Amino acid sequence: MELSILIFLPAIAAALILLLPQRMEQQAKWVALAAAAAMFALSIAMFFRFDPGAQGYQFVERHSWVDIGAFNLQYFVGVDGLSLPLVVLTTCLTLASVLVSFSVTHRPRAYFACLLILASSVVGVFVSLDLMLFFLFWELELFPMYLLISIWGSGRKEYSATKFVLYTIAGSAFMLIGILVLAFDARTFDIERLASADFRDTLLPLGWVFFFLFVGFAVKLPIVPLHTWLPDAHSDAPTAVSVLLAGVLLKMGGYGIIRLCVTLMPEVAHDWDAWMAGIGAFSVLYGGFITLRQTDVKRLIAYSSVSHMGLVLLGIGALGSTGLTGATYQMLAHGLITGLMFVMIGLMYERTHTREIARLGGLARQMPLIATGMVFAGMASLGLPALAGFIAEVTVFLGAFQRFEWAVLAAIIGVVLSAGYILWMLQRVMFGPVRHEWDELTDQRHWWEHAVVAGLAALVILLGVYPALLMDVIEPAMTTLAARLQA
Amino acid sequence: MLFLAAEPSAASTPTIDQAVLWAIMACPLVAWGLIALYLRKLPAIAGYTAILGIGAAMVLSYVTLFNVIDAGGGVAQYTHQWFTAGDLSVPIGVRVDGLTAVMLVVVTTVAFLVQVYSTGYMQGDHGYGRYFAHMCLFTTSMLGLVLADNLFQMFVFWELVGLCSYLLIGFWFHKPSAAAAAKKAFIVTRIGDLGLLAALLLIWTRAGTFDVTAIQEWAASGEVKSTIVTLFALGLFAGAAGKSAQFPLHVWLPDAMEGPTPVSALIHAATMVAAGVYLVARFFPVFEASADAANVVAWIGAITAILAATIALVQTDLKRVLAYSTVSQLGYMMLSLGALGYVAAIFHLFTHAFFKALLFLGSGSVNHATNTFDMRKMGGLRKHMPVTYWTFVIGSLSLAGIFPLAGFWSKDEILLDAWRHDRALWAIGAVVAFMTAFYMFRAIFLTFHGTYKGGEPVDHHDPDNHFHGDPAHPHESPWSMKGPLIVLAVPSIAAGWFAYDHMFKDFIEAALPHAGHHGSTFELGIAISSTIIALAGIGTAYAIYIRRWVDSASIRATFAPFALVFERKYFLDDLYEGLFVRNIFYRGWCRLLETIDRRVVDGIVNGTGQLGRAASSRLRAVQVGEVQSYGLGVAAGVIVIFIAVIVANPL
Repeated sequence: MELSILIFLPAIAAALILLLPQRMEQQAKWVALAAAAAMFALSIAMFFRFDPGAQGYQFVERHSWVDIGAFNLQYFVGVDGLSLPLVVLTTCLTLASVLVSFSVTHRPRAYFACLLILASSVVGVFVSLDLMLFFLFWELELFPMYLLISIWGSGRKEYSATKFVLYTIAGSAFMLIGILVLAFDARTFDIERLASADFRDTLLPLGWVFFFLFVGFAVKLPIVPLHTWLPDAHSDAPTAVSVLLAGVLLKMGGYGIIRLCVTLMPEVAHDWDAWMAGIGAFSVLYGGFITLRQTDVKRLIAYSSVSHMGLVLLGIGALGSTGLTGATYQMLAHGLITGLMFVMIGLMYERTHTREIARLGGLARQMPLIATGMVFAGMASLGLPALAGFIAEVTVFLGAFQRFEWAVLAAIIGVVLSAGYILWMLQRVMFGPVRHEWDELTDQRHWWEHAVVAGLAALVILLGVYPALLMDVIEPAMTTLAARLQA
Repeated sequence: MLFLAAEPSAASTPTIDQAVLWAIMACPLVAWGLIALYLRKLPAIAGYTAILGIGAAMVLSYVTLFNVIDAGGGVAQYTHQWFTAGDLSVPIGVRVDGLTAVMLVVVTTVAFLVQVYSTGYMQGDHGYGRYFAHMCLFTTSMLGLVLADNLFQMFVFWELVGLCSYLLIGFWFHKPSAAAAAKKAFIVTRIGDLGLLAALLLIWTRAGTFDVTAIQEWAASGEVKSTIVTLFALGLFAGAAGKSAQFPLHVWLPDAMEGPTPVSALIHAATMVAAGVYLVARFFPVFEASADAANVVAWIGAITAILAATIALVQTDLKRVLAYSTVSQLGYMMLSLGALGYVAAIFHLFTHAFFKALLFLGSGSVNHATNTFDMRKMGGLRKHMPVTYWTFVIGSLSLAGIFPLAGFWSKDEILLDAWRHDRALWAIGAVVAFMTAFYMFRAIFLTFHGTYKGGEPVDHHDPDNHFHGDPAHPHESPWSMKGPLIVLAVPSIAAGWFAYDHMFKDFIEAALPHAGHHGSTFELGIAISSTIIALAGIGTAYAIYIRRWVDSASIRATFAPFALVFERKYFLDDLYEGLFVRNIFYRGWCRLLETIDRRVVDGIVNGTGQLGRAASSRLRAVQVGEVQSYGLGVAAGVIVIFIAVIVANPL
């Protein structure tokens, strides 16, 4: 029941918001806030009621949906140690993105409705245990994203929104082929049953199926060379959308690779493990080098995400319990950290109306709180210990080093690169002599701004100091998966 | 401390409670939390909170020290599990032994005195509260590093002290030079940390443990392939070279002087920069097991020592002289470790912390009076600031290694170990000793002797300036600053006396699993020769800068090429930043990749889109709305399919 509430509550709230009369349109944010807060509270409650030791999925709901003889499409949802933390991350960042949108006044009803539908579809992706349902939610997410970027964005927003949608759909086309081939062979869309099926007589070689699914997820993650939509989408999206895009949507890619590619086709995954680790390490370095050249703060962080998501693939490629756990942890850590980073950039942009690094400088004097938040987010992003990103990075490195020493030794150079681009960005944006053109600007001051920044920062510290909180939930699921992979 | 000599008994386990050890870390951490959250805007209370937090840690550190002394050395360790991820299990714990106890006392004592000093030095600064918050966080991290019982935890605190160093170097972030120096320090040390990270990965993969004792025994067991031990040792040393500013990663430390002077005293002289030496000492059995790695350490140390000493000869900025001197002395400690002089290195770390902190705080006191660090604008301050002058002289004599001050004993042990290990190392050490004595007394003569040249006028338009008084009429500093100078002068004189009867040696050696034969203590020949060398250095400085028998300008003219190389710091900054980072790396490599990314990778994407549009505008011509042509098309399609089916399934 809980998972259905998580999926449908935001959708219902979105409908309510759209029904609000014109004169109450500025109240839309309160409805959205109530829905997002309820989702977050519910997901936290689920997190603590979850039993990490138990095998299989929990909070399961299963209803027959479309029954056409051989194929039974189901409404089948449930979570395990992989998806539950991602669901919590989604609700947490949804709440954050509703709060940072409190100053949105342009067509607020449509805006908040889109945000909530987005949240609904992303939760749906993470909890679906039926491939058709999964695909449905996967595609549903594009619709609000397209509107959010192209209406409330900035710059070349139509171009970026279209590029984002077309790129994802191109990836989904591959993915759909893969899904259909698997389902036709095993005569089911049920992920639980597919996981134990051995595909004997598939329409296409299993390696191709793996590849098709992988491409669909690789676009989303994104990995080099399928990443160029990301900086465009980020730089033109409004703050809240950047938060959700970097924080949650990219994780759908990593989640898909673990849940479908690796879990359903372990033998093929073994054949491709070195490739995954290698592409992951390559993304880390390539993303890092290009990040150094960026002149727009948001593009800079977008490229740094390419680099950080490479670590997820590196951890997955190791195909061991440590690497997979680290990859999952990295998704969560990156979600919170980059979410916070985009919040800080958004707060700054709201005041300065520019993200051009060359035009900024010395802001730490006019906006000490925003500067503190940005330095904090930067430190978390470059993997400073006692913050979440460090635990994730080191776990990935330790997990992958046992199998791919060369890939890890290359990837750790990314540690220096990230220090380089983050600190250089901070130096040029926040430090240096005061620029008097920004003298009139105010620091962070609204309660919702404080709440988002303090909340996300607290979580980043919590996951850095007390990683067992999350590790103990992720680890059993990954250990089970790794055991299957060894078999 | 006579009771120490009375108990040369075998090492037993210290009985200290682990709550005390955790509390040592927690005290400054609590102070940090209070200041950061509540007291930023309340300068008076913020300063005293920091002093209280660090003071409490200091008291507990002395309690710990005496407890370990009572046990005659020995190791107490308390390990817990931090987290697990699959096969990975990461511990968290505290460990105390002779080495830890000495470090605890050094860190907390210097930190405490520096906080007291800072209440005077930082008076009126905009960021007064922020300053003390960062200082508390630094102290916590440094203590955590020292107390860690495993390599993973050391790495955590290792990076955290790097963060604090970054924040404090860039404390006056509105100064472009300070912001740049902070970034440089962080990135350069992080390059070294790559080695440490690789060592961390290697040790987990090969030995399956992070525990200090287990790693020491792993290396000493002789069952491990020697290349693995060497790689592990070199990884550790790369990290140590970054933090301890060893060639070729030493370039950040002189720039770090952009931070407030008490920060330089605490972090960039006495404690954090010694962390690299501590790390190598902590894993000393690993270096013992790998002669190659030990040689690398020794020679990098020797190169660093002489490189930095030569640069210090030509500096005109008082603080930079001290900075290069620090680099040089750290090289000395590394040289000693590489020459397998474990005790001498730690002993020198111990004494150096006091006299170098004293010298830095002295230079800060001078700056407080003159508003500058440029020695060309000073002179004659002896009369105006007698306390600063005399304490500075004590510190310099100690650094120069004059009997019976602290530096004499520790430097002597290093030279003795070098002599026994490799005469070439000794020769370099002796030359460095001469230069050290020379540049320190050159600095004293330029700063405190002769006539006063007016200091730097105060810029009243700079809102960040909080200079009190008039640089034209220098004055002695307040008691909050004089007090720490006087207190630090005591260990600068006396800290070396612990060498008596192997006290320090036995105590420190008990931290290693296999005690004994880690360097020796005293030899009259070395002692006399090094004293003569030091006196010669002082005498040369006296001859040039007081007596003026030789004109310093003419010396410079005679050795112009050398002077240029020294003044330009061997062109290393130009090589790294100008040539490599800016041109080859940034404008070359990164721009190349970025262009490929934009033109090729994204170009293909956009090209595909354009191709699609172009193709569809052609294909649109087919959809003309004529039923006949559609019918024709359908018929043609049916025929094609029919033929295809026939071909595929010949009946």
